[in-house]
Amino acid sequence: MAFLEELKSSVGDALIQKHEQKIPYETDASYFQGSEPMAVVIPETVHQVSLVMKLCQKYSVPVVVRGGGTSLTGSSIPLSGFLVISMARFDRILEVKPQDRYAIVEPGVRLDTLNEKLLQLRHFYPPDPASSMAATVGGSISTNAGGLRAATYGTTRNWVLGLEVVLPNGEVVNLGGKVLKRTAGYDLTAMFVGAEGTLGIITKAILKIWPIPETKGRILAYYKDIEKVGLAISSMKEKGITPEIAEFLDRITMNSLEKARGMHFPESALYMLIVDISSTRESLQRQLDDAVRVLRQFSPTDVTVTTDPAEMARIYEARKGAYASLLSERSSATERVVIGDIVVPASSLPMALRESEEKLKEDGVRAALFGHIADGNIHANIFADTGNEDQMKKVDRFQEDFGKIALKYGGSVSAEHGIGIEKKRLLRMEIDASGNPYVMDIMKTIRKSFDPAGIMNRGKMFD
Amino acid sequence: MLQNEVGKCISCGFCESVCPTLPAAGYDLWKGARGRVIMGHELLNAVREGREGNMDISDSFYSCLDCFACLQVCPAGVNAGVVSHLARSLIVGKKIKGNQNPYAEMIVAATMKYMNPLGIPASSDNWAEGLKFDQGSTDVLYTGKMYQLMAYTGGLNRVRDMAGDHVSKLMAGIIANHPSVIRMSASQRDRSFQKQLNNSLRNIVKLLQAAGNHFSYPGPMEPYPGTFLYDLGYLAEFEEYANRVYGFLKEYGAKRIITVDPHTYDLMKHTYPEFVDGFDLEVVFYADLLSGLNISKTDRTVVYHEPCHFVLREDSYSTPLELINRAADTVLAPRNGKRNRCCGGPDELIFPDLSDKVSQERYSELISTGASEIVTACPICLANLSKERKTRDMADLLAEASSL
Ligand SMILES: Cc1cc2nc3c(=O)[nH]c(=O)nc-3n(C[C@H](O)[C@H](O)[C@H](O)COP(=O)(O)OP(=O)(O)OC[C@H]3O[C@@H](n4cnc5c(N)ncnc54)[C@H](O)[C@@H]3O)c2cc1C
Ligand code: SF4
Ligand code: SF4
Repeated sequence: MAFLEELKSSVGDALIQKHEQKIPYETDASYFQGSEPMAVVIPETVHQVSLVMKLCQKYSVPVVVRGGGTSLTGSSIPLSGFLVISMARFDRILEVKPQDRYAIVEPGVRLDTLNEKLLQLRHFYPPDPASSMAATVGGSISTNAGGLRAATYGTTRNWVLGLEVVLPNGEVVNLGGKVLKRTAGYDLTAMFVGAEGTLGIITKAILKIWPIPETKGRILAYYKDIEKVGLAISSMKEKGITPEIAEFLDRITMNSLEKARGMHFPESALYMLIVDISSTRESLQRQLDDAVRVLRQFSPTDVTVTTDPAEMARIYEARKGAYASLLSERSSATERVVIGDIVVPASSLPMALRESEEKLKEDGVRAALFGHIADGNIHANIFADTGNEDQMKKVDRFQEDFGKIALKYGGSVSAEHGIGIEKKRLLRMEIDASGNPYVMDIMKTIRKSFDPAGIMNRGKMFD
Repeated sequence: MLQNEVGKCISCGFCESVCPTLPAAGYDLWKGARGRVIMGHELLNAVREGREGNMDISDSFYSCLDCFACLQVCPAGVNAGVVSHLARSLIVGKKIKGNQNPYAEMIVAATMKYMNPLGIPASSDNWAEGLKFDQGSTDVLYTGKMYQLMAYTGGLNRVRDMAGDHVSKLMAGIIANHPSVIRMSASQRDRSFQKQLNNSLRNIVKLLQAAGNHFSYPGPMEPYPGTFLYDLGYLAEFEEYANRVYGFLKEYGAKRIITVDPHTYDLMKHTYPEFVDGFDLEVVFYADLLSGLNISKTDRTVVYHEPCHFVLREDSYSTPLELINRAADTVLAPRNGKRNRCCGGPDELIFPDLSDKVSQERYSELISTGASEIVTACPICLANLSKERKTRDMADLLAEASSL
């Protein structure tokens, strides 16, 4: 095949064609099974990426870019006939400049690796999806990842200052730059945030970084009533308290953490909140007291506070492992966890949480609810045998109902995991519900203007 | 068992971020932890569907270092090292066509014939010459020949380098059928390194004796413990072999064996009892017996590279660190304890290039601490991390600090 021959002469050793070696590229962290890619390229230089894209354009070969492969929506898997471009070898941190509040990094750097480096300079990069150990800079920009700290710091969108991108035609462009503000025409940098590899390939990123808060404390509060959980959070925000992290877990999730991580939670608790307050040393206690006072107003069964770093780390790690721990709650080995990922304004949380629980019952699906609740993000982790058509129909119905709850309160069907293959229908639903389907046409026009040949992650996000 | 292990995986990719072989293999996923779990799945499916003979899958598993770094971060409790081991055992047990690794076959054949993987003659094992032991003691020093072997592996790889991959594989195939050929490699030993290794062994004996221990030593006839047989998945051979070794030690009168390297220690303590009926030897690591030693701190700062078998297994073993810390100010690499990074040693014979990259990465990390020397507690680590900066066995440091 001419394409592969030319590719080989352009990238040499960076090309993988052997059937067995390609198998691990067929999947990401979602339950979708991709196709065997035509080949996999692991380029090392921007020039190579550019050559590869020129060839793909010439031969109309569809491309999927792969970062850490932790997508939960199937956005990083190849469909039939795709070439996979893995950005793993772009793994260098090029420059860190705390005085200018930026770091320049390659897209294959994993988020935890970046933060380990920044920690030495007492800075950090706030976006912290629970997958930060494996998720990469390029992938997390492309899904506009949120995470635990988004409560205070917002999602990835707020932290990308500039990008170097290889466009689908092989052209290399620089967007944005090293400065913290800029109003110079359309914000094309922002366009790549959440674009799921449909517009081009990020080969370098200039990220905003931030000083590490002086100190923090962690509050654990337990409840019996789901509405009270929502009320506690929205009331805290109303009173001007912005927790750095506020995570919500239901009983199924707590049970799974007890089994998988040896944690212990009060038996009477049905719901739990993990609230972090970051502050200066002088005012930490006062701020913790303020937060506890609000949390206590909503009849918790128990409230505890810790400032012990080891204990805080244990709880944080457990929360980060919550999704995986849910495996222990599966009723059979063939069950997988399908994730619903909505967001509503914080003040609507009490209603949204209650209605979500009602819909679970009504639609006949079993799910654990948890989420980054301070920014109104609720995850429904649905247990389902993904090979069972009947069950998947129920899951689809629930996903739709769950999405409708979000839209009813002015929220979104996809808070932070993106669209990929999984939520294409829900994206359509959200745009239709906005009352102006023309928005989808604008999106299509933008995509086409970057990628006229339609080769970038074809079949993902929207058709 | 393989099904159980791979069935738990949710494909989150966390393990990939700590697997040393993945970056060393240029991020080719099948040589990383998640890739191995996925390939384990694939192997099972292939066996179920009877198409395993058409696959060429074994490199994914043979390139695993069995370091267990992946297990430490897996939220679902999957151990890709165990997956690799079970997959190798399945490939070997079922003799899956085209997947037998020629080097593994060579090592197995030589081990079964010579009781050590490189066919090193007992006559060249003279490290203990002139040392006095309490022959007759039921406490037996068992070196397992690991220190002794390390002087030969580099030479073997030099021969491989010269011959090229294709010829080397052919040679390995020949040796698998005619193990005596491997003895040629014995001439390739690194004599100055051998001297250093022998000296470390002698220091171990001196340290043990200075701490008031009495023990015997079987001499150059002591067998290698069979680590490779087990690690490479040759379980039937390992079972037979382990019983031979156990028989040897029992006949020698051993009740308690004093091991000197982490691999032998772990294998004898945790694996032998599964394969040897009625296994009743007490297994200790020599550092356990050094509490009575009079150590005074030297004025250097050293960096201790922890062996995976001590820190990435269920029960972390920190006695060596405590001793080293008494002998010199000791720092650890940035990735230490449960985040420890392997030295690459276990891949030395089968994937020398990969092993070299892993060891280079670890070496850079160790010297980034600014310590004046690297201290190891395992001969494999010592061999792999001996580069420009001074790298020493802990026995040498302890001997110096105890003025032996
Ligand atoms: C256990 C677990 C927990 C998670 N928790 C969270 C969470 O709390 N919050 C959250 O937001 N997400 C979460 N996720 C989802 C996921 O981790 C994120 O979507 C992550 O940001 C994806 O990063 P990645 O490097 O793995 O990207 P990949 O999965 O490899 O790719 C994601 C998308 O980005 C594109 N892409 C990758 N690199 C580039 C590049 N260089 N240029 C252009 N496009 C590129 C891909 O084509 C794909 O469309 C979780 C996932 C798991 C498995
Ligand atoms: S960390 Fe565990 S669950 Fe995640 S991919 Fe690796 S083996 Fe699978
Ligand atoms: S045991 Fe080590 S080398 Fe093997 S898969 Fe796990 S981390 Fe990688």
